[in-house]
Amino acid sequence: MYDFAAARKRSELLMNIREHFIGKGYLEVSTPSLSPYLIPEPTIKAFGTRFINEFEGSRDLYLIPSPEIFMKKLLAAGSGSIFQISSCFRNAEQLGDVHNPEFTMLEYYTVGADDRDSIDITIEMIEKTKLRGIDPEWLRNKPLIISMHEAMMKYAGVDMDKAESIDYLRAEALRLGLNPGENESWDDTFNRIFLTYTEPSLPKDREVYLTDYPDRIACLAKHSEKGPTKKRWEMYINGIEIANCYDEETDKNETEKYFAEEWEKLREERSGTEEAIPPADPSFSSLDIPQSSGGAMGLDRLLAVHLGLNSIEPLLLFSLSDMLRQ
Amino acid sequence: MIKAGQIDKGTALLIKGQPFVCIEREFVNPGKGSAFVRLKLKSPSTGQVLSETMKSQDNAEDITVEDRDLQYLYNDGENFYFQNTETFDQIDVPMKSFPDYEYFMKEGETYRATFWEDQVLDITIPSKIVFTVAEAEEAVKGDTVQGATKYVTTETGLRVRVPIFIKQGEKIRVNTETKEYLERVNS
Repeated sequence: MYDFAAARKRSELLMNIREHFIGKGYLEVSTPSLSPYLIPEPTIKAFGTRFINEFEGSRDLYLIPSPEIFMKKLLAAGSGSIFQISSCFRNAEQLGDVHNPEFTMLEYYTVGADDRDSIDITIEMIEKTKLRGIDPEWLRNKPLIISMHEAMMKYAGVDMDKAESIDYLRAEALRLGLNPGENESWDDTFNRIFLTYTEPSLPKDREVYLTDYPDRIACLAKHSEKGPTKKRWEMYINGIEIANCYDEETDKNETEKYFAEEWEKLREERSGTEEAIPPADPSFSSLDIPQSSGGAMGLDRLLAVHLGLNSIEPLLLFSLSDMLRQ
Repeated sequence: MIKAGQIDKGTALLIKGQPFVCIEREFVNPGKGSAFVRLKLKSPSTGQVLSETMKSQDNAEDITVEDRDLQYLYNDGENFYFQNTETFDQIDVPMKSFPDYEYFMKEGETYRATFWEDQVLDITIPSKIVFTVAEAEEAVKGDTVQGATKYVTTETGLRVRVPIFIKQGEKIRVNTETKEYLERVNS
C-alpha cells in the first residue's frame, strides 16, 4: 500500500536540493502555512479556516497557496538569497494525475539575478540534484528555451504581435476550431488556444523553458523591454508543468496596481459563492523588494518525472483522493 | 447539460449533433489561468478522435446511454454483425470505429455494448477470453531451454506469445488488455 521505495527517493531528492542550495549560500527558511491575508490571485482558490480567540476576537485564516507572501518580506528585509521546501495548498483543484490539493513546493529566490539567470540556476540545480542510479532521457538532452511568441507561432500559427487585440485572438480561436464563449476574457481565449495546440506540442524529451509570457496575464513579474510580455517563464518536462519563475516586480506602483485590480476581480468573482475571499496583504505593496528572481517548483511532479511517471499519486503516501475513497 | 469538469472517461456527449465518447480526460490549470479540462473524444460512427479543451465551467451536452448484451455473429471486413440477445435484432457496427477489435471478436461470444438510441457507442471486451490456437509454429527439436516461447495465431487472427508446449487446436486464455497468454485451458 505504501511505496517506501518511492518515499526513499523523495527523501533523497529533498536532501539533494537542500544540500545544493545551502552549498550555494542560500539561507533555508521556514515560514507559516497559515496566514490572515494572501496575495490576491483570482485563479487560485484558497482553503479558509478560523482561528478561535475567545478574548481578543476570532479571525479567519487561510492556508497559503505558496510561501511567496512571507519569503518576499524576508527578501525586502535583507535576507539575501533564500529557499524553502514546504507544503502548499490549493482549493478546488481537481483530484487527478498531477494535482493534489496539498503538495510540496520548492520556492527559491536569488538576489541580484533575473529571469534569464534563473534558467541557468534551475538547469544546474536539476542536474546536480538528480537521483542516484536513475538517468532519465530528458535529463541527458539539452534543455530547450523557447519564447511564447515562437511557440504560439510554431504550434498554433498564432501571431502574438497581433494578439493584443481580443478580436484577432478570438478569430484565431475560431479558425482553429475552438469554441470561445461569448464575452470570454482575453486570458481564457488565449489559454484555450495555448492548451489545445501549444502546450501539448512542446517537446517531451527535455526540460522546456517557455519564456516571455503575455503582458495581459497579470502577475508580479516585471514587464519586459522586448515587447508586450512579462519576464516570466514556465518549465515543462514530459508535458508536465514543473516550475515557474518571475523576474520579481520591484516597482511599488506596479505592485499596488496589481493588488488593487486582482483583489477587485477576485472579490467580484467570488461574491455570493462558497469560496473564501482572503483579504489582500496590506503591507505587501510597500516592500522594498531587491532585484531578484523567484522560482517555484512542484517537487512531487519533479520526482514523478525523475521516476518516469505521469502521475504524482503513487508518490503521495496519503493522497487526498485515496483518503476520500475510504 | 453537465459542466466540462464533470466529464470522465466513458461519458457520452453530443457535439454539433453527433455523439462522442470521452476516451481520455486530463485536468489542466495553466499558470495564472482558469481551470480547464483536456479531452479526447471518439466518434463511434467514424472512429474520428477529437481533441477538445474546455473550461471546467463550460457546459457540455451529455446524453443518456444504456448497456445491452450483444452476441457476436461475424464480420464482412466492413461491419461487425451482432444479435441483441433479448430482441434478436441484428445490429451492424462499422469496424473502422473499433480498430483491432476484430482480434477479440469470437463467434457466439456475448459482449456488453453501450447504446445511445439505436447507435452503438462502445463495446466492452471481456478482460480474459479463451481462444483456439489456429496456427502454431512447431517447437524446434532439442529446444529444451526453460521458459522458451513461440508465437501462435488464434482463430480470430490474434498473434500471442505462448510457451512452446502449446499445440494447434488447443485452447488458451488470453489477457485482452495486454494480449498476453495466461494459461492453457483443458477442454
